[in-house]
Amino acid sequence: MLKLGRKRAEKLEFGIFTLPILISIIAVFYYPFIMTIRYSLTKWNGISKHPKFIGLDNFKQIFLGDTNFTNAAWFTVKYAILYIVLVNVIAILLALVLDMKLKTTAWLRAAFFIPYILSLVIVGFIWKFIFMQGFESLGESTGWGIFDLSWLGDPNLAFISILLVSIWQSVGFYMVIYIAGLQSVPDDLKEAATVDGAGPFRRFFSITLPLLAPSITISVFMALTNSIKVFDVILSLTGGGPGGTTYSVAYDIYRDTFQNNLYGYGTAKALILFVAVLIITVIQLTIFKRKEVEA
Amino acid sequence: MKQSKAGRIILEVVMFILSLAFLYPLVLTIINSFKSFKEVMTDVIALPQSLSFENYAYVWKFINYPRLFMNNAIITLLGLVGIILIASIAAYKLARTKSRASLIIYFICIMPMLIPFQSIMLTVLQMAKDFNLSDSTWGLGLLYWGFGAPLALFIYHGFVKGIPKEIDESATIDGASGFRLFFSVIFPLLKSVTTTIIIIDVMWIWNDFLLPLLMVNGSPATKTLTLAAYTFVGQYTSDWQYAMTAMVMAVLPSIIVFIFLQKYIVKGVVAGAVKG
Repeated sequence: MLKLGRKRAEKLEFGIFTLPILISIIAVFYYPFIMTIRYSLTKWNGISKHPKFIGLDNFKQIFLGDTNFTNAAWFTVKYAILYIVLVNVIAILLALVLDMKLKTTAWLRAAFFIPYILSLVIVGFIWKFIFMQGFESLGESTGWGIFDLSWLGDPNLAFISILLVSIWQSVGFYMVIYIAGLQSVPDDLKEAATVDGAGPFRRFFSITLPLLAPSITISVFMALTNSIKVFDVILSLTGGGPGGTTYSVAYDIYRDTFQNNLYGYGTAKALILFVAVLIITVIQLTIFKRKEVEA
Repeated sequence: MKQSKAGRIILEVVMFILSLAFLYPLVLTIINSFKSFKEVMTDVIALPQSLSFENYAYVWKFINYPRLFMNNAIITLLGLVGIILIASIAAYKLARTKSRASLIIYFICIMPMLIPFQSIMLTVLQMAKDFNLSDSTWGLGLLYWGFGAPLALFIYHGFVKGIPKEIDESATIDGASGFRLFFSVIFPLLKSVTTTIIIIDVMWIWNDFLLPLLMVNGSPATKTLTLAAYTFVGQYTSDWQYAMTAMVMAVLPSIIVFIFLQKYIVKGVVAGAVKG
């Protein structure tokens, strides 16, 4: 009897400790996710009471004839690849320099990190001001042609601007991850390689880089998940312009759902984004985990 | 490593100049927040002719800054306290209980980290409306419990596994159990992870944009700092001096906190990324 009572008490405690988190997570993730699947099979403008069931028509339409979505997907892929490569390369370079224990290291780390604590929407606005007003004055005082270009008005340059601003905002974050990674590379290993006659490049590629593998996995993973969902910075920097050339997938979903009131259609796109993120994440994690073991 | 002294000095100087150029956009923002409309239009890079806080007084009143700051504080604090509470007690129980149910619940709780917010934003908003949580700072704070819980649980769970079970057992002998055992014995041991979670969650909730845009953008009484700055710039697209002032006022709290807690913030961000 006593044992049974204790077991029941333990079960009760287990329930009390885990129920709050379960309810919170089911409420904001699972329930909405199931509703998303439901809505994606309907045509609904959010005003009429009952969404109309139309089966897989939304998905057919998206894959067969939605140039907005194709363009946004293409934009996002290009952006994600360039962002992941550039932000990681720049961050590694900065980390290598900061790891050399310069006199200004503390200042440099703080300076490169600061933009990361700012909200992306605000960062977008600050740069919009710089591109639109600041560059004009800088062009006048320096005479450099680079400042006279239409950084937000030309589709190709607008793409580069979004990329640059995103990198500017987040490179400090990746930098500190790499600095932490470099600090775990033992000094005697580098010294031994120097004694063996390895030059700085050789040393970097055959010792430092392989030992940085865990940091690279984390950083690429973070850069990937963030860049696939890019939204805030585009909203405030270009607003999708010029001529609708800088819509990302997330922004396209936002436009369809909340600006065009295509609730069913928008959620269908949202579901496609989910599947894409899932597949890419799983592939990336398996590849990098394998590489890490080899190194 | 041998390196020429001159090379090192050149590197120092180059890096220093690079860091100044890197921060120049922020400097320009601050400079122009003190200028008049005419000054901004004639020359952006020149220093202001006089140090006037006129723009600040105007924007402060126009967007009702204290109110926005309070809203941000309420949302962030409510979200943070909830996340830490529900995630830490659940992580403790789940890590200590070896059963199939425990494992399943753990996976149910961390799986959502793979769901992008944009995939569920519409239905989250609808759910919030159904439960009268929208258009309220408290409602928004409450939603963050669920959104922040998976990562917090994941980090706590990994840490609790490293705390020896003997500690629980000796506390049980001393007569402590349940919540008392957790809050007086276990929770203090989680201090370092809790700090990490506080840092990454405060940075996230304080600066978050899309969820607040959907949830609390309807009324000036519930707006957050970022939302107000966003709307303000939309209305004043040509009045850059006010827009820049609003920007500075929106980011100033974060920058001040960063200056004082720099070490902890960088450490917390790294720890959060490495464990997450």
